[in-house]
Amino acid sequence: MDREKREKLLGLFQSKLDRPMRYYLDVCTRCGLCKDACFAYASVPKPEYTPVWRAEVVRRIYKRYFKLSGRLFPFWGESKEVDEEALKQLNQAAYTCTGCRRCMMYCPFGIDTQAIQSIAKLLLIGNESEPEILSMLADASIEKGKSLDLYKDSFIQGIKHLEKEVVAKWKGESDQVIPLEVVGADLLYVALAGAHSIIPAASIMNAAKENWTLSFFEAVNFGAFVGDPRKTQLIAKRIIDEAIRLKVKEVVICECGTAFRVMKHLVGRQPFEVSHIAEVMARYLREKRIRVEKDRIKGVMTYHDPCQSARNSGVIEEPRYVLHQLTSHLVEMTPNREYNLCCGGGGGLVALENEEFRQETGRAKADQIKGTGATILATGCENCHTQLGFLNEKYHLGVEVVFLTNIVANSLVLES
Amino acid sequence: MSDEIKVDKTMDLKGLPCPQPVIKVSKGIKEIQVGQVLEAVTTDPGALADFPAWARTSGNEILKTEQGSGLITFWIKRVK
Repeated sequence: MDREKREKLLGLFQSKLDRPMRYYLDVCTRCGLCKDACFAYASVPKPEYTPVWRAEVVRRIYKRYFKLSGRLFPFWGESKEVDEEALKQLNQAAYTCTGCRRCMMYCPFGIDTQAIQSIAKLLLIGNESEPEILSMLADASIEKGKSLDLYKDSFIQGIKHLEKEVVAKWKGESDQVIPLEVVGADLLYVALAGAHSIIPAASIMNAAKENWTLSFFEAVNFGAFVGDPRKTQLIAKRIIDEAIRLKVKEVVICECGTAFRVMKHLVGRQPFEVSHIAEVMARYLREKRIRVEKDRIKGVMTYHDPCQSARNSGVIEEPRYVLHQLTSHLVEMTPNREYNLCCGGGGGLVALENEEFRQETGRAKADQIKGTGATILATGCENCHTQLGFLNEKYHLGVEVVFLTNIVANSLVLES
Repeated sequence: MSDEIKVDKTMDLKGLPCPQPVIKVSKGIKEIQVGQVLEAVTTDPGALADFPAWARTSGNEILKTEQGSGLITFWIKRVK
């Protein structure tokens, strides 16, 4: 590696070295309490799947270049040069970590492995060796924000095609079944590209007689998945600008955990509230704005807490409130809530070519699901839904994986 | 299939979760030669904005888009 590149990468490293990060890098005693917290290590006990191992290369580079001992005596101790080998190890560590932050819950010092991996990802981006597909998807999202006028009409046309399905579920009549561009709407709903993310939510919001409008943008933030802070902000900014332009009071993120966490916690204070769709459904049920028929959905149900919306954003009680309105047969996983095991699909991992890894490291989650005896597995995140569906198939779990919005929409009691 | 366009590869992307349709198309386009055409069928309404945005950033060209019966079909030419 030439000097210019090394200096560029060290500059990127330095840009992440705020006080909490230095603390995370300095205080690890290698006690190993984090290892059993990791879903990957719990499934396959390989040292490289432990959070402490994942952080080690970053930590050694830090020691080499940002600690006095490493700068004075680079060949002494556990310091490491930034070179091609180090970058290869960083890649293996960073893109096999979902950033679920379960290890942080068990670490006596609260070390945030995801934050440490954000250094690894930034160095890989600087080296142009991050997963190309994630950067490509992030760039396409940014492009959509820049040139929305080019795509607006065809998107509107596509949404019009969905309206029949919404009416079929909602059985209501309105001039705007899926409203778009409503200035002064109370709520901006940010969905994913698929109809499954739009139709049930639209049915529920219409049943609640919500004054809502659908965003032109997809909620998912590939900038966050790839680990590029600039792209993360640009992708989120499209939605923020739209919300401000439409003067909405609340931005509601669909069942996408990372999208919710980014908008809720990582874009600073905004002139609107940010909610997860599970919180909105719970609110409608509490305020009796919608009614659902309990036990219309048959079978024992369990719930998978998505790491980004539950552990990392606190949406824990609302999904349970919703589920208790839908079924008398809810069985909790053990452990659950903020201690729930990651499914292994988060952090954009389901978008990468890593089926073997996702299968072997999903074993602990599969065992946890089996242990509930449930036949219906509900969740509130697209990545989790995809990964859980994959585990269902690979481990023959015999469950139906469902989105919360879908089961609520299917249980709606509609006025005639 | 469009009458005017010669299709070299077809991809069925119906009902795939986010972000699989764009991922599969970006992989599929690399499996055809420059100048050849990929036909992609999806059910995602968001693809109507996402695919053109992807084509612009990846340097490919969407020749035609059709909608009907809940299906959206793109004809994409590999440009580079």
